[in-house]
Amino acid sequence: MAPHSPAIDQIDTLLWIGFVAGAILAIAVIGGLLYALGRYRAERGAEPRQVTGGRRIQLRVGGALGIFAAILLVLSIVYTDKAREAPLTGAAGLQASGSEPLTIETTGQQWLWRYEYPNEAFSYYKLVVPVDTEVRLKLVSTDVVHTWDVPDLAAKADAVPGKTNELVFRADEEGTYSGQAATLSGQAYAAMRTEVDVVSPAEYEAFIEGQKDEIQAAQDRVVKLIENGETP
Amino acid sequence: MSAPAKNPEVVIDGFSPRRARWVQLATSADHKDLGRILITGALGFLFLAAVELLLMRLQLAVPENTFMPPVTFNRVLSLYGATAIFLFAIPLALGFFYYVAPLQIGARGTALPRLGQLGTWLFVGGATVLYTTFLFTPPEAGVNPLPPLSGLAFIENNGVDAWLAATGLATLGFVLIAVDLVATMRRLRAPGMAWRRLPVFSWAAAISSWLTIAVGSVMLAAITMLLIDRNFEGIFFAGDAGGSPLLWQHLSWIFYTGAYMLVLVFALGAIAEIVPALARKPLFNRGAVIGSLVAIAVLGTLAWMQNMYTAPIGLGWMYFAMIMSLALIVPFGLVFFNLIATLAGGTVRMRAPLLFAAGAVVAIVIGLVAELSHSMVAAGWRLQHTTDSTAATHFALVGGAVFGGFAALHWWFPKMTGRTMGETLARFSFWTMVAGTLVTFVPLFLAGTEKDQVVDAYKFFAGNGLDAYNLIATIGAFVLFAGIVMTLVNAILSREGGAPAGHDAWGGDSLEWFALSPPEPHNFDVPPDVRSARPMRDIRAAIARRSARGERSAREHQPVA
Repeated sequence: MAPHSPAIDQIDTLLWIGFVAGAILAIAVIGGLLYALGRYRAERGAEPRQVTGGRRIQLRVGGALGIFAAILLVLSIVYTDKAREAPLTGAAGLQASGSEPLTIETTGQQWLWRYEYPNEAFSYYKLVVPVDTEVRLKLVSTDVVHTWDVPDLAAKADAVPGKTNELVFRADEEGTYSGQAATLSGQAYAAMRTEVDVVSPAEYEAFIEGQKDEIQAAQDRVVKLIENGETP
Repeated sequence: MSAPAKNPEVVIDGFSPRRARWVQLATSADHKDLGRILITGALGFLFLAAVELLLMRLQLAVPENTFMPPVTFNRVLSLYGATAIFLFAIPLALGFFYYVAPLQIGARGTALPRLGQLGTWLFVGGATVLYTTFLFTPPEAGVNPLPPLSGLAFIENNGVDAWLAATGLATLGFVLIAVDLVATMRRLRAPGMAWRRLPVFSWAAAISSWLTIAVGSVMLAAITMLLIDRNFEGIFFAGDAGGSPLLWQHLSWIFYTGAYMLVLVFALGAIAEIVPALARKPLFNRGAVIGSLVAIAVLGTLAWMQNMYTAPIGLGWMYFAMIMSLALIVPFGLVFFNLIATLAGGTVRMRAPLLFAAGAVVAIVIGLVAELSHSMVAAGWRLQHTTDSTAATHFALVGGAVFGGFAALHWWFPKMTGRTMGETLARFSFWTMVAGTLVTFVPLFLAGTEKDQVVDAYKFFAGNGLDAYNLIATIGAFVLFAGIVMTLVNAILSREGGAPAGHDAWGGDSLEWFALSPPEPHNFDVPPDVRSARPMRDIRAAIARRSARGERSAREHQPVA
């Protein structure tokens, strides 16, 4: 899947800035080094002039590098802010009026993600969210540190036991996005994957209702089993 | 009573015969013996780390591979991390500092030799603990064993305790060696060896020693706390009982970031000795390079939260870490600028140390500019925890510790053994390593940035476009391994069979080249008198003057420039 989230677009821009800035620095240093090594080879009997540099050239080079770093700093802050502010509910979203974002309690546990929606529905492994809607994941963990990572939709964030972390995103195209936990969490870490289904608001509502019915049905079955004297 | 002998003889009584070489080495408190133990040990563990990297790459050669069960992979990964950092990179750097810096400052030994001896053997003890875990349970909590995973509730076996004991012993050893080095640098400099005349590598030794004392102590505290948590019902890192798992992340990242900077300061310090000598020019601006190394150690370590952008910490802290990381552009840039300016206009002899030094600079630069994107907060959210960060770290640390370490090895090998390492094998090894490093880690860059392959996972799934990247990286790991082994073999063969090097092997400017090769136990018969930042050049000039005047060799006198 190609990235489909305004926040990811901002992050991608910043990635390009970082890549270009790094390439400029790398080409300057590596090019200068290789040129100097190739150009100034030893000659028989020649003793080079014992030149050293003064303070002025150091200040100039240092100053130029400092300005370069400062520009990168400003750009990083600008695009980090843009990435954080990008997720606002779009035209086709669930709450087009722009009220509170859809908050989903996201729990990491060895080795599965649990998503708890408002109005008491929940799901494991697969997260279903409406398109064009600001979604806020509240990340917690019941055991060890996990990192929630669906690269085409949002930044990464850790679920740390005893702390709550937040991740906000808005998907602007329907589809299925896959992701994988990104911090070593024990033996089945590599298999700890997740999937995000981005659907229309109507389908989302239907999914929540269906999920609630299923959960209710399952609970009824358990109650029935207990009433019949069987252990579930 | 007999008449006294005509020609009285000196009779030595009760003088024990010369002890076996290994007994001497095992009981020696001489910084050169201890330095050789550290360097030899570190190079041995480089071999083991390379084997472990190969095993992991074999598991990741094809998707959903079953070559290793998950827990075995996690154990190899944990051993690899501890070996590469605690048993190879840090002791190699400290070993060279400990061997060379006292010679460079014209000292006859170190100030607290028994402390350095204890430190060296604590490192050996730590290494022994880590590798005897094969007899019971190797650690399995990863390169950085984050609680709660490394807590008793999730890993009950003793592997994590062994990891803590091993790295704890080694780290304590590093701190003790650093204390000895700091005391030596302050108290035992030769007459005239002012701080402003100290060779850059000795400055790097002083900076790294202070850095080790600072961040090593932090790590020792963290290790002790986790041991208490695991064995004595502590709650330092227990999130639900009033402790904080994030505390471990802060403490350990301070150490790991400091160690990363230590490796780079070591490599750049060694390169700043090699480049001027082999270009036959003084370093373009010593003050700027030394000041930059100080800045790298301080700013770099302060950027520890650069590794925690995904953790629940305030955005302000992330910006703090980003400012420190981006500020590093200035000191790193100045060091590279001065190295290139030193080469410009010189007469460069492209010998093996310079070849490895150039390779180190290129690899370090690639690693650092990749790390640059990681430090830009929003970009870091995307790149961290992917193989892009694996590749960035490996470029910088393979550049610093392996290429930089091999540059130092080729450079000071003649001083340590009296023999030069084979030049042909060095060149084969170098180009094999260049190919291996690029073929291993460039695909991991791409797998991380393009396909978001996550770190530390024992398998990846087919159909995600990762297959080719990982297969190529595995092939590259074999090439890199072959290149590393060639230099290790070269060192072993050259110890006895290398070309005799002479005492002043390269025409360097610092005082280790004034000592014999290998140096006498007391380093110098006569403490040299230092009059400039290039004392060995002064000594050579003085010898030339005196021989021209038909005097006796200057070596028998106080050499005066």
